Amino acid sequence: MDNTSYTILTRQSGLTREMSTIANNIANASTTGFRQEGLVFSEYVQKVGRNDSVSMATSRVSHVRGEQGALIQTGNSFDLAVEGDGFFLVQTPDGERLTRAGAFTPNHDGDLVNMDGYAVLDVSGSPIFIPPDSVGIKIAPDGTISNQGQLLGQIGLVRPTTAHDLTREAGVLFSVKNGHEPVVAGRVMQGFLENSNVNTIGQLTRMIEVQRAYEAGQSFLEQENDRVLNTVKTLIR
Amino acid sequence: MRALKIAATGMSAQQLRVETISNNLANMSTTGYNARRAEFSDLHYQQASRPGTINAADGTILPTGVQLGLGVRPTAVSVHLAQGSLSQTNGDLDIAIEGRGYFEIVLPSGQSGYTRDGGLKRSADGLIVTSDGFPVAPEIVIPEDARSISINADGQVFAYFSDAAEAQLLGEFSLANFANPKGLEAVGSNLFLETEASGVPIVSAPGEDGLGTLRQGYLEDSSVDAVREVTELIEAQRGYELNAKVITAADQMLAATAQVR
Repeated sequence: MDNTSYTILTRQSGLTREMSTIANNIANASTTGFRQEGLVFSEYVQKVGRNDSVSMATSRVSHVRGEQGALIQTGNSFDLAVEGDGFFLVQTPDGERLTRAGAFTPNHDGDLVNMDGYAVLDVSGSPIFIPPDSVGIKIAPDGTISNQGQLLGQIGLVRPTTAHDLTREAGVLFSVKNGHEPVVAGRVMQGFLENSNVNTIGQLTRMIEVQRAYEAGQSFLEQENDRVLNTVKTLIR
Repeated sequence: MRALKIAATGMSAQQLRVETISNNLANMSTTGYNARRAEFSDLHYQQASRPGTINAADGTILPTGVQLGLGVRPTAVSVHLAQGSLSQTNGDLDIAIEGRGYFEIVLPSGQSGYTRDGGLKRSADGLIVTSDGFPVAPEIVIPEDARSISINADGQVFAYFSDAAEAQLLGEFSLANFANPKGLEAVGSNLFLETEASGVPIVSAPGEDGLGTLRQGYLEDSSVDAVREVTELIEAQRGYELNAKVITAADQMLAATAQVR
C-alpha cells in the first residue's frame, strides 16, 4: 500500500474516534454535571523522500466545553449547583477529585456524600457533618451550611491551578495534576442541579458531518483500490 | 465501532428514566408517596493519549490528551423527600406527619418497617394497624366501648367514654428518623426497611429531635409534581430518539466500511 491509503486511514480512524465522542456526549445528555467533550485534529507532517512530504490528520487532544449547563430546580436541600466558575471537591479512595455534579445526601454517619458515596469536602478539606436531627438546612450562595442559625460548615469550591488541567474519570469526576486552588467568588445554588452542557443539536449536526466524511473516505479508498487494480492489470497485459 | 455500544448505554439510561417517571405518575394518588428521580453519571474513560504526555524532547507536554468516554450509567434512583400536601379526610385514625419522620410498623417477620402512610385502621382486637393489618409500634389498643378518640400533635392518643367526662390516655405514638432517609429500602405497600446506608432509626416523640408533628383527620398526599414529570418525560423521549439516531449513523458507517473491497 502507498501513502494515499495511509493518509486516508488516519482520517478514518480519527473520524471513528470522533463518532464515539459524539455518542458519549449524547448518551450523557442528561447526566448531572457532565461536560461536553470534543476532539481537536492536528496536522501530522511526515517527510517522504528528498523534497516531498505527506500530511496526515490525527486527533491529538480533546477539549472540555466549559460553558455553564442549564440549572434544573429539584427542591432537594442537598442538591447543589455551581453557578459560574468552580468545582466541588470530593474525597475518593484515589484522592481528591473535582466534580460539578452536586446531587449530595448525608450518609448513615451524617457525613455529606455524593451519589457514589464519596465525602464532599469543605473549605479546609475535611468532610461535612450534618446532624440527623437538623430540620431546616440552608446553604448560602458562598457554600455556608447552617441549620436554624447554627453554622455547620462551608462547602469548598475549587478550580485547577493551571487551566485545562482536567483528566476525566468515571462518575463525572475530574482529577488534576498540578493541584487546585480555592475559588473566591464562587456561587452555590441550593435546590438546583446543573444539567449536562451537551449541545444536542450541535452534536447531531456534527454526527451527520462525521458520517458523511467517513463515507466519502470509504468511497475514496474504493476508487484508490480500482486505480491500483487498473495499473496492475495494465502492467501485466 | 464503539459508538454503537455507547449509544446503547444512552438508550437504556433514558429508558430507566421513563420507567422512573411512569412509576411516579402511577403513584400520583398514593398516600405519602415521594417522587423518585434517576441520576446518571459517565462511565470509564479510555485514555487514548494521556494529558501530560511528553510530546517533545524539550519537555513540551500535551495539555489535555485524548480521552474517550464509554457511555453513561445510572448511579441512583433517589427519593425526592418532600412534604406532600395534606388532604382532610376526618377519619379518626387518619394521621398525617407534618415534617420529618416515619411510623414504625411491626412486620409479621418481627422486623420493623417504616411508613409515612398514616391511613391507620383498627383490628378486631382494637389494635391500631396499617391498611395491611400490621401493628404500629408502640402498640396502642383502643377499648371497644370508647366513644371517640383524639390524637394530639405530640402523638398522645386519648379515648372518650360515655360514662366519663375526662379523656383517658391510651398511649403515645412515636416517630422514627434516619441520618439518611434516602438510604431506606422501599419494599412496596408504602413500607421502607432500615439499611446500612440509612443508619439506625432514632426514635422519639413527635415534635422532638427535629421530628414532625401529627395531625389527626388528615392524610399526606403524594408529592409527585405532574407538570415536572411530563416535562421530564418529553426530555427522556427525545434523548432516547437522539441515541437511536446515533446507532443508525454508526451502523451506516459500518456498512460503508464493509462495502470497501
